[in-house]
Amino acid sequence: MATSEADLKALMIESLTGDAAAHGLLLRALVPLLRSFYRRRLALNEDVEDFVQDTLIIVHTRRQTYDQDRPFTAWLYAIARYRVIDHYRRRRQTVAIEDVESILIVEGFEDAANAHFDVDSLLTTLPPKQARAIRHPHVEGKSVAEAAAAAGIGESDVKVSVHRGLRALGARIRGSSQ
Amino acid sequence: MNTEQLIETLSRDVPRVSRYAVLQRVATGIVAGGLAAMLLVTATLGVRPDLQVAMHGFSFWMKWTYTISLGIGAIYAITRLARPAPGSLRGLWLLAVPVLILTGIGVGELARTPSSEWLAMWLGRSWTSCPWLVLTLSAPIFAGLLWSFRKLAPTRLHAAGAVAGLGAGAWAATIYCLHCPEVSAIFVLTWYSLGILLAAGIGALLGPRLLRW
Repeated sequence: MATSEADLKALMIESLTGDAAAHGLLLRALVPLLRSFYRRRLALNEDVEDFVQDTLIIVHTRRQTYDQDRPFTAWLYAIARYRVIDHYRRRRQTVAIEDVESILIVEGFEDAANAHFDVDSLLTTLPPKQARAIRHPHVEGKSVAEAAAAAGIGESDVKVSVHRGLRALGARIRGSSQ
Repeated sequence: MNTEQLIETLSRDVPRVSRYAVLQRVATGIVAGGLAAMLLVTATLGVRPDLQVAMHGFSFWMKWTYTISLGIGAIYAITRLARPAPGSLRGLWLLAVPVLILTGIGVGELARTPSSEWLAMWLGRSWTSCPWLVLTLSAPIFAGLLWSFRKLAPTRLHAAGAVAGLGAGAWAATIYCLHCPEVSAIFVLTWYSLGILLAAGIGALLGPRLLRW
Protein backbone atom coordinates (compact mmCIF):
# COMPACT_ATOMS: atom_id res chain seq x y z
CA MET A 1 0.00 0.00 0.00
CA ALA A 2 1.22 3.49 -0.84
CA THR A 3 2.48 5.36 2.21
CA SER A 4 5.37 7.50 1.06
CA GLU A 5 4.93 11.19 0.26
CA ALA A 6 5.78 10.56 -3.40
CA ASP A 7 3.23 7.71 -3.78
CA LEU A 8 0.44 9.59 -2.02
CA LYS A 9 1.12 12.75 -3.99
CA ALA A 10 1.06 10.84 -7.27
CA LEU A 11 -2.31 9.27 -6.33
CA MET A 12 -3.70 12.66 -5.33
CA ILE A 13 -2.66 14.23 -8.62
CA GLU A 14 -4.28 11.38 -10.56
CA SER A 15 -7.39 11.72 -8.44
CA LEU A 16 -7.54 15.43 -9.31
CA THR A 17 -7.66 14.53 -12.99
CA GLY A 18 -10.88 12.64 -12.26
CA ASP A 19 -9.39 9.14 -11.84
CA ALA A 20 -11.84 7.38 -9.50
CA ALA A 21 -9.62 4.30 -9.04
CA ALA A 22 -6.69 6.43 -7.87
CA HIS A 23 -9.04 8.32 -5.59
CA GLY A 24 -10.20 5.09 -3.93
CA LEU A 25 -6.60 3.89 -3.54
CA LEU A 26 -5.63 7.21 -2.02
CA LEU A 27 -8.47 7.24 0.53
CA ARG A 28 -7.71 3.64 1.53
CA ALA A 29 -4.01 4.45 1.94
CA LEU A 30 -4.88 7.39 4.19
CA VAL A 31 -6.96 5.35 6.65
CA PRO A 32 -4.04 3.81 8.63
CA LEU A 33 -2.13 7.11 8.62
CA LEU A 34 -5.12 9.02 9.98
CA ARG A 35 -5.95 6.33 12.53
CA SER A 36 -2.49 6.51 14.04
CA PHE A 37 -2.52 10.31 13.89
CA TYR A 38 -5.82 10.63 15.77
CA ARG A 39 -5.15 7.77 18.16
CA ARG A 40 -2.12 9.63 19.48
CA ARG A 41 -3.82 12.99 19.77
CA LEU A 42 -7.30 12.32 21.05
CA ALA A 43 -8.44 11.38 24.53
CA LEU A 44 -9.25 7.68 25.03
CA ASN A 45 -13.01 8.27 25.11
CA GLU A 46 -13.04 9.87 21.64
CA ASP A 47 -14.11 7.86 18.62
CA VAL A 48 -11.04 7.80 16.38
CA GLU A 49 -13.02 6.31 13.49
CA ASP A 50 -15.38 9.33 13.45
CA PHE A 51 -12.41 11.60 12.95
CA VAL A 52 -10.94 9.36 10.25
CA GLN A 53 -14.21 9.34 8.30
CA ASP A 54 -14.70 13.06 8.76
CA THR A 55 -11.20 13.70 7.40
CA LEU A 56 -11.76 11.39 4.42
CA ILE A 57 -14.88 13.37 3.55
CA ILE A 58 -12.93 16.62 3.78
CA VAL A 59 -10.10 15.22 1.63
CA HIS A 60 -12.83 14.34 -0.87
CA THR A 61 -14.92 17.51 -0.81
CA ARG A 62 -12.14 20.06 -0.37
CA ARG A 63 -9.48 18.47 -2.53
CA GLN A 64 -9.39 21.58 -4.72
CA THR A 65 -7.47 23.28 -1.91
CA TYR A 66 -4.49 20.98 -2.47
CA ASP A 67 -1.71 22.87 -4.25
CA GLN A 68 0.10 20.42 -6.54
CA ASP A 69 3.40 22.26 -6.08
CA ARG A 70 3.45 21.52 -2.37
CA PRO A 71 3.84 18.31 -0.33
CA PHE A 72 0.69 16.21 0.00
CA THR A 73 1.31 15.00 3.55
CA ALA A 74 1.74 18.57 4.80
CA TRP A 75 -1.72 19.33 3.39
CA LEU A 76 -3.25 16.19 4.87
CA TYR A 77 -1.85 16.64 8.36
CA ALA A 78 -2.70 20.34 8.37
CA ILE A 79 -6.33 19.29 7.86
CA ALA A 80 -6.10 16.60 10.54
CA ARG A 81 -4.49 19.00 13.03
CA TYR A 82 -7.13 21.61 12.31
CA ARG A 83 -9.89 19.06 12.99
CA VAL A 84 -8.40 18.20 16.39
CA ILE A 85 -7.96 21.85 17.38
CA ASP A 86 -11.43 22.77 16.12
CA HIS A 87 -12.95 19.83 17.96
CA TYR A 88 -11.58 20.95 21.31
CA ARG A 89 -12.37 24.58 20.57
CA ARG A 90 -15.97 23.74 19.69
CA ARG A 91 -16.45 21.98 22.99
CA ARG A 92 -14.61 24.78 24.77
CA GLN A 93 -12.37 22.20 26.27
CA THR A 94 -8.84 23.18 27.09
CA VAL A 95 -5.90 21.13 25.95
CA ALA A 96 -3.06 20.63 28.40
CA ILE A 97 -0.10 22.67 27.24
CA GLU A 98 2.10 19.58 26.99
CA ASP A 99 -0.29 18.10 24.42
CA VAL A 100 -0.34 21.12 22.17
CA GLU A 101 3.05 20.28 20.80
CA SER A 102 1.99 16.80 19.81
CA ILE A 103 -0.99 18.30 17.97
CA LEU A 104 1.21 20.77 16.16
CA ILE A 105 4.13 18.60 15.12
CA VAL A 106 3.74 17.18 11.64
CA GLU A 107 3.77 13.42 11.80
CA GLY A 108 7.37 12.20 11.83
CA PHE A 109 8.38 14.67 9.15
CA GLU A 110 10.25 17.00 11.43
CA ASP A 111 12.18 14.17 13.10
CA ALA A 112 13.13 12.65 9.78
CA ALA A 113 14.27 15.98 8.36
CA ASN A 114 16.28 16.82 11.49
CA ALA A 115 17.91 13.39 11.52
CA HIS A 116 18.94 13.89 7.91
CA PHE A 117 20.52 17.25 8.70
CA ASP A 118 22.31 15.80 11.74
CA VAL A 119 23.73 12.90 9.76
CA ASP A 120 24.83 15.23 6.99
CA SER A 121 26.63 17.57 9.32
CA LEU A 122 28.29 14.69 11.19
CA LEU A 123 29.49 13.11 7.96
CA THR A 124 31.25 16.30 6.92
CA THR A 125 33.52 15.90 9.97
CA LEU A 126 34.87 12.59 8.63
CA PRO A 127 37.52 12.05 5.97
CA PRO A 128 35.76 12.07 2.56
CA LYS A 129 36.47 8.40 1.86
CA GLN A 130 34.81 7.24 5.08
CA ALA A 131 31.91 9.67 4.67
CA ARG A 132 31.24 8.38 1.16
CA ALA A 133 31.47 4.78 2.30
CA ILE A 134 28.83 5.43 4.97
CA ARG A 135 26.61 7.62 2.85
CA HIS A 136 26.26 5.27 -0.09
CA PRO A 137 25.05 2.07 1.61
CA HIS A 138 23.56 3.47 4.84
CA VAL A 139 21.91 6.73 3.83
CA GLU A 140 21.17 6.28 0.15
CA GLY A 141 20.55 2.54 0.27
CA LYS A 142 23.07 1.34 -2.31
CA SER A 143 24.69 -2.10 -2.01
CA VAL A 144 28.30 -2.43 -0.86
CA ALA A 145 29.25 -3.57 -4.37
CA GLU A 146 27.67 -0.45 -5.92
CA ALA A 147 29.34 1.79 -3.37
CA ALA A 148 32.71 0.16 -4.09
CA ALA A 149 32.25 0.58 -7.85
CA ALA A 150 31.19 4.23 -7.43
CA ALA A 151 34.22 5.05 -5.30
CA GLY A 152 36.59 2.94 -7.45
CA ILE A 153 37.84 0.91 -4.48
CA GLY A 154 37.48 -2.69 -3.30
CA GLU A 155 34.46 -3.98 -1.36
CA SER A 156 36.54 -4.85 1.69
CA ASP A 157 37.95 -1.33 1.59
CA VAL A 158 34.38 0.04 1.73
CA LYS A 159 33.55 -2.18 4.69
CA VAL A 160 36.67 -1.10 6.56
CA SER A 161 35.92 2.57 5.83
CA VAL A 162 32.35 2.16 7.10
CA HIS A 163 33.58 0.49 10.25
CA ARG A 164 36.22 3.13 10.98
CA GLY A 165 33.89 5.96 10.07
CA LEU A 166 31.07 4.75 12.33
CA ARG A 167 33.52 4.22 15.21
CA ALA A 168 34.82 7.78 14.75
CA LEU A 169 31.28 9.15 14.67
CA GLY A 170 30.36 7.17 17.78
CA ALA A 171 33.36 8.61 19.63
CA ARG A 172 32.43 12.11 18.48
CA ILE A 173 28.79 11.87 19.56
CA ARG A 174 29.75 10.45 22.97
CA GLY A 175 32.29 13.25 23.29
CA SER A 176 29.83 15.99 22.42
CA SER A 177 27.06 14.72 24.70
CA GLN A 178 29.25 14.71 27.79
CA MET B 1 -21.50 3.52 7.92
CA ASN B 2 -18.14 1.83 8.13
CA THR B 3 -15.05 3.38 6.64
CA GLU B 4 -14.84 0.99 3.70
CA GLN B 5 -18.42 1.77 2.65
CA LEU B 6 -17.69 5.45 2.98
CA ILE B 7 -14.69 5.18 0.68
CA GLU B 8 -16.80 3.21 -1.83
CA THR B 9 -19.41 5.95 -1.83
CA LEU B 10 -16.90 8.76 -2.12
CA SER B 11 -15.02 7.07 -4.97
CA ARG B 12 -18.16 6.94 -7.06
CA ASP B 13 -18.14 10.68 -7.61
CA VAL B 14 -14.69 11.98 -8.55
CA PRO B 15 -14.93 15.04 -10.79
CA ARG B 16 -11.84 16.52 -12.43
CA VAL B 17 -10.47 19.50 -10.53
CA SER B 18 -8.69 22.35 -12.28
CA ARG B 19 -5.35 23.57 -10.94
CA TYR B 20 -6.92 26.98 -10.68
CA ALA B 21 -10.08 25.85 -8.89
CA VAL B 22 -9.36 27.90 -5.75
CA LEU B 23 -8.62 31.04 -7.75
CA GLN B 24 -11.81 30.54 -9.80
CA ARG B 25 -13.86 30.05 -6.65
CA VAL B 26 -12.42 33.20 -5.01
CA ALA B 27 -12.83 35.26 -8.19
CA THR B 28 -16.46 34.15 -8.56
CA GLY B 29 -17.25 35.28 -5.02
CA ILE B 30 -15.60 38.65 -5.55
CA VAL B 31 -17.26 39.26 -8.92
CA ALA B 32 -20.71 38.36 -7.55
CA GLY B 33 -20.23 40.61 -4.52
CA GLY B 34 -18.72 43.33 -6.72
CA LEU B 35 -21.79 43.34 -8.97
CA ALA B 36 -23.99 43.82 -5.92
CA ALA B 37 -21.74 46.66 -4.72
CA MET B 38 -21.90 48.26 -8.17
CA LEU B 39 -25.70 48.09 -8.11
CA LEU B 40 -25.61 49.80 -4.72
CA VAL B 41 -23.41 52.59 -6.09
CA THR B 42 -25.53 53.24 -9.17
CA ALA B 43 -28.82 53.00 -7.25
CA THR B 44 -27.97 55.08 -4.18
CA LEU B 45 -24.79 57.16 -4.64
CA GLY B 46 -24.88 57.63 -8.39
CA VAL B 47 -21.97 57.36 -10.79
CA ARG B 48 -20.05 60.63 -11.06
CA PRO B 49 -21.46 62.54 -14.05
CA ASP B 50 -18.01 63.37 -15.46
CA LEU B 51 -16.79 59.76 -15.45
CA GLN B 52 -16.11 59.81 -19.22
CA VAL B 53 -13.90 62.86 -18.86
CA ALA B 54 -12.27 61.66 -15.65
CA MET B 55 -11.26 58.41 -17.31
CA HIS B 56 -8.90 60.42 -19.49
CA GLY B 57 -7.25 62.05 -16.49
CA PHE B 58 -4.34 61.02 -14.25
CA SER B 59 -6.03 60.99 -10.85
CA PHE B 60 -8.74 58.49 -11.82
CA TRP B 61 -6.15 55.99 -13.02
CA MET B 62 -3.92 56.69 -10.03
CA LYS B 63 -6.82 55.73 -7.75
CA TRP B 64 -7.68 52.65 -9.77
CA THR B 65 -4.09 51.48 -10.01
CA TYR B 66 -3.81 51.79 -6.24
CA THR B 67 -7.01 49.98 -5.33
CA ILE B 68 -6.77 47.34 -8.07
CA SER B 69 -3.18 46.43 -7.20
CA LEU B 70 -4.19 46.05 -3.54
CA GLY B 71 -7.14 43.94 -4.69
CA ILE B 72 -4.92 41.66 -6.77
CA GLY B 73 -2.43 41.28 -3.92
CA ALA B 74 -5.30 40.40 -1.59
CA ILE B 75 -6.61 37.76 -4.02
CA TYR B 76 -3.15 36.16 -4.04
CA ALA B 77 -3.11 36.13 -0.23
CA ILE B 78 -6.65 34.73 -0.07
CA THR B 79 -5.81 31.85 -2.41
CA ARG B 80 -2.88 30.99 -0.14
CA LEU B 81 -4.68 31.31 3.18
CA ALA B 82 -7.73 29.43 1.89
CA ARG B 83 -5.65 26.25 1.95
CA PRO B 84 -4.43 24.13 4.83
CA ALA B 85 -0.68 24.60 5.36
CA PRO B 86 -0.50 27.88 3.42
CA GLY B 87 3.29 28.00 3.68
CA SER B 88 5.29 31.21 3.70
CA LEU B 89 3.46 34.50 3.22
CA ARG B 90 6.58 36.54 2.59
CA GLY B 91 5.15 37.70 -0.76
CA LEU B 92 2.64 39.81 1.16
CA TRP B 93 5.29 42.52 1.56
CA LEU B 94 4.57 43.35 -2.08
CA LEU B 95 1.32 44.94 -0.86
CA ALA B 96 3.48 47.76 0.51
CA VAL B 97 4.59 48.70 -3.03
CA PRO B 98 1.37 50.46 -4.15
CA VAL B 99 1.20 52.23 -0.77
CA LEU B 100 4.77 53.50 -1.14
CA ILE B 101 4.22 54.61 -4.73
CA LEU B 102 1.08 56.51 -3.77
CA THR B 103 2.96 58.09 -0.87
CA GLY B 104 5.60 59.25 -3.33
CA ILE B 105 2.96 60.81 -5.59
CA GLY B 106 1.38 62.44 -2.53
CA VAL B 107 4.68 63.99 -1.43
CA GLY B 108 5.18 65.34 -4.96
CA GLU B 109 1.70 66.87 -4.86
CA LEU B 110 2.35 68.54 -1.53
CA ALA B 111 5.63 69.98 -2.82
CA ARG B 112 3.83 71.57 -5.78
CA THR B 113 0.99 73.00 -3.66
CA PRO B 114 1.21 76.01 -1.31
CA SER B 115 0.99 74.80 2.27
CA SER B 116 -2.13 76.89 2.93
CA GLU B 117 -4.08 74.50 0.68
CA TRP B 118 -2.72 71.29 2.17
CA LEU B 119 -5.53 70.77 4.64
CA ALA B 120 -8.25 71.28 2.01
CA MET B 121 -6.43 68.86 -0.30
CA TRP B 122 -6.09 66.22 2.42
CA LEU B 123 -9.71 66.39 3.62
CA GLY B 124 -11.28 66.98 0.19
CA ARG B 125 -15.04 67.33 0.29
CA SER B 126 -15.91 63.85 1.44
CA TRP B 127 -13.40 62.67 4.06
CA THR B 128 -16.15 62.11 6.60
CA SER B 129 -18.09 59.72 4.38
CA CYS B 130 -15.42 58.10 2.18
CA PRO B 131 -14.07 55.45 4.61
CA TRP B 132 -17.57 54.49 5.71
CA LEU B 133 -18.84 54.16 2.15
CA VAL B 134 -15.85 51.96 1.23
CA LEU B 135 -16.55 49.85 4.31
CA THR B 136 -20.26 49.56 3.47
CA LEU B 137 -19.58 48.58 -0.14
CA SER B 138 -17.12 45.94 1.05
CA ALA B 139 -19.92 44.08 2.86
CA PRO B 140 -21.47 42.43 -0.23
CA ILE B 141 -18.00 41.50 -1.53
CA PHE B 142 -17.09 40.02 1.84
CA ALA B 143 -20.33 38.04 1.70
CA GLY B 144 -19.33 36.76 -1.74
CA LEU B 145 -15.99 35.67 -0.31
CA LEU B 146 -17.73 33.87 2.54
CA TRP B 147 -19.54 31.88 -0.12
CA SER B 148 -16.16 31.12 -1.78
CA PHE B 149 -14.72 29.91 1.52
CA ARG B 150 -17.51 27.37 2.02
CA LYS B 151 -15.68 24.98 -0.30
CA LEU B 152 -12.19 26.00 0.84
CA ALA B 153 -10.21 25.03 3.91
CA PRO B 154 -8.45 27.85 5.78
CA THR B 155 -6.61 26.80 8.93
CA ARG B 156 -5.41 30.25 10.05
CA LEU B 157 -8.77 31.86 10.52
CA HIS B 158 -7.75 35.31 11.79
CA ALA B 159 -5.32 35.77 8.90
CA ALA B 160 -7.77 34.37 6.34
CA GLY B 161 -10.49 36.72 7.62
CA ALA B 162 -8.09 39.68 7.47
CA VAL B 163 -7.07 39.10 3.84
CA ALA B 164 -10.70 38.44 2.88
CA GLY B 165 -11.59 41.80 4.44
CA LEU B 166 -8.63 43.42 2.70
CA GLY B 167 -9.75 42.04 -0.68
CA ALA B 168 -13.36 43.07 -0.07
CA GLY B 169 -12.22 46.57 0.95
CA ALA B 170 -9.85 47.02 -1.98
CA TRP B 171 -12.42 45.95 -4.56
CA ALA B 172 -15.12 48.02 -2.82
CA ALA B 173 -12.80 51.05 -3.10
CA THR B 174 -12.28 50.25 -6.79
CA ILE B 175 -16.04 50.39 -7.33
CA TYR B 176 -16.38 53.48 -5.13
CA CYS B 177 -14.01 55.26 -7.56
CA LEU B 178 -16.92 55.29 -10.03
CA HIS B 179 -18.70 57.69 -7.67
CA CYS B 180 -15.96 59.55 -5.83
CA PRO B 181 -14.76 62.81 -7.47
CA GLU B 182 -11.73 63.36 -5.19
CA VAL B 183 -8.44 63.85 -7.00
CA SER B 184 -5.56 64.15 -4.53
CA ALA B 185 -3.17 61.31 -3.74
CA ILE B 186 -3.01 62.05 -0.01
CA PHE B 187 -6.81 61.92 0.16
CA VAL B 188 -6.81 58.45 -1.36
CA LEU B 189 -3.85 57.35 0.70
CA THR B 190 -5.60 58.33 3.93
CA TRP B 191 -9.33 57.86 3.54
CA TYR B 192 -9.52 55.04 1.01
CA SER B 193 -6.84 53.13 2.91
CA LEU B 194 -8.70 53.74 6.16
CA GLY B 195 -11.88 52.19 4.74
CA ILE B 196 -9.91 49.22 3.38
CA LEU B 197 -8.09 48.71 6.69
CA LEU B 198 -11.37 48.85 8.61
CA ALA B 199 -12.71 46.10 6.37
CA ALA B 200 -9.55 44.04 6.93
CA GLY B 201 -9.73 44.53 10.70
CA ILE B 202 -13.37 43.51 10.89
CA GLY B 203 -12.56 40.50 8.69
CA ALA B 204 -9.77 39.48 11.07
CA LEU B 205 -12.15 39.70 14.05
CA LEU B 206 -14.91 37.75 12.32
CA GLY B 207 -12.63 35.17 10.68
CA PRO B 208 -12.66 32.49 13.41
CA ARG B 209 -16.44 32.73 13.71
CA LEU B 210 -17.39 32.83 10.03
CA LEU B 211 -14.68 30.79 8.32
CA ARG B 212 -14.53 27.68 10.54
CA TRP B 213 -15.39 24.39 8.92
